Amino acid sequence: MTPKERVNKIFSGEKPDRIACFSGMGNVTVEGLKKYDYAFYEIHLDAEKMANAACTSYELYGFECAVTPFDLGIEAEVLGAEMNFYTHKGKEDIVYPTVKKKAINEPEDVDVPENIEEKGRVPVVLKAIEIMKEKVGDEVPVATYILGPYTLAGQIMDLEKLLKMSFKKPDKIEELLTTLAGMLIELGRIYKDAGVDYITVREMGAPTDVLSPRMFKNLIQPPLKDMFSELPKPTVLHICGDTNLIVDLMWECGPTAISVEQKNDVAKTREKLGENALIFGNIDPFGTLVQGSIEDIRSAVKKAIEGGVNSVWPGCDIWPAVPKENMIAFVEAVKEFGKL
Amino acid sequence: MVSEEKRREILEKLKNGVIEFDEDLVREAANEALEVGMDALDAIMNGLVVGMEKVGELFDKGEYFVPEVLMSADALYAGLDILKPHVRKEDIKVSGQVVIGVVEGDVHDIGKNLVKMMFEVAGFEIIDLGKDVPLEKFVEESLNSNADIVALSAMMTTTMLGIPKVIEMIRERNPKAKILIGGAPVSKDAAEKWGADGWAPDATNAVKEAIEMVKSLKKEVMG
Repeated sequence: MTPKERVNKIFSGEKPDRIACFSGMGNVTVEGLKKYDYAFYEIHLDAEKMANAACTSYELYGFECAVTPFDLGIEAEVLGAEMNFYTHKGKEDIVYPTVKKKAINEPEDVDVPENIEEKGRVPVVLKAIEIMKEKVGDEVPVATYILGPYTLAGQIMDLEKLLKMSFKKPDKIEELLTTLAGMLIELGRIYKDAGVDYITVREMGAPTDVLSPRMFKNLIQPPLKDMFSELPKPTVLHICGDTNLIVDLMWECGPTAISVEQKNDVAKTREKLGENALIFGNIDPFGTLVQGSIEDIRSAVKKAIEGGVNSVWPGCDIWPAVPKENMIAFVEAVKEFGKL
Repeated sequence: MVSEEKRREILEKLKNGVIEFDEDLVREAANEALEVGMDALDAIMNGLVVGMEKVGELFDKGEYFVPEVLMSADALYAGLDILKPHVRKEDIKVSGQVVIGVVEGDVHDIGKNLVKMMFEVAGFEIIDLGKDVPLEKFVEESLNSNADIVALSAMMTTTMLGIPKVIEMIRERNPKAKILIGGAPVSKDAAEKWGADGWAPDATNAVKEAIEMVKSLKKEVMG
């Protein structure tokens, strides 16, 4: 069974031969960059480099997907934010792009342009998807991610202001999130038309480390529900941080699967959501994959599987500096413990 | 001289104003404190700061979340703006400087701003380098300013590893500086391993840690 067939079966609720080891988020590694002698910043800006880099974790370790892009600025740029790509950095430095200049001051200033497929780096991502599909698309699923409306709002306006207004003027924020959800649905459709096999929505700005479960339900959940009812399936909702209190609300949003990180107790999540929910997670990308021993990685994988995940996912982007042996051990452990 | 009863009443208002993020109440109480001739530093430390400590507890208990903490901070500042100009110079026991910033690649500065606020409350002179700060800049500024404290944070795992680099550079060139580090991905073990003097996993704990550090520095400075 190819990784693509395996992942397809998992998403459609059929029984695969074993649990898959893949992700819906960035998974490029320093080893992958070395293969092509790329600096990190280059792979955000050039479609061919982006595509090549995105396929390396499959090629080097048998990681079961190819995912692009690698940063969280694509949508913000479409809306007028300016990014810093740290292009002065050398090959040994991994600094993720950040928003240098926000797009709006007030929530009502948001302006979604026409033809978003032509805006910012969307054409780069689309071209990269095309190359990835040619390169590895028969064997592994090719995927992309988009931000959740609240996380995107935090990228395009002052985060502190967003958080305070969420409390003081929820109506204004609700309106903004509805607009952003509309744009994100359109972007998801554009990516689907380009041929991605699944789409992950990363609403990382909204764990219960940051917002109360009540605010999640009142403000964050409604636009996410809109998104998942409109986005082409299969879809995954990923939220990092503490999520045990809101996994039921996440699942209610209507994604094909939810993804959680290491702070989530997946056994409890399984108990709360029942047998039919698709749950992906929850390997610590830094503490375990980068800093852990081979044994740590194996026991984390075992624990996630025993906890009831349907696929083993890292809790966030794979940390580029992850040692090669650890990535191999990670994938092998899933093969070993994930037989069904 | 203000009566003890009146003093307590005003402190209570300041505290509750911060907890309930009621800026108007805090302003009213701060003005009242000045009118009745209360000591401004007393009002700050035993009113506003006590309120903020309580907010930290509510955050730890999961009753308050980040938006609430931010609004409480606004309420504290509303009081601080009124009271601070009236603090007697001789009452500011520490005259140290703090270099504070978020490491390169990271633009999350909410925690940093809360910690900055506590240092301001304690009478420190703040050199705020902002966010996305090149690592060498922390070292340069700590030397230029002779700062007692260098406080740095990272919100993301990917930027966290800038912290030990900065610590190493500072230790080499300014060994007297106290280094306070924090941010979601920074563990206590990591902080110890890297040789930081203070650590906090999140904004409100950082506030507590900053208060502790300020107290310990006060002792040292005061001999």
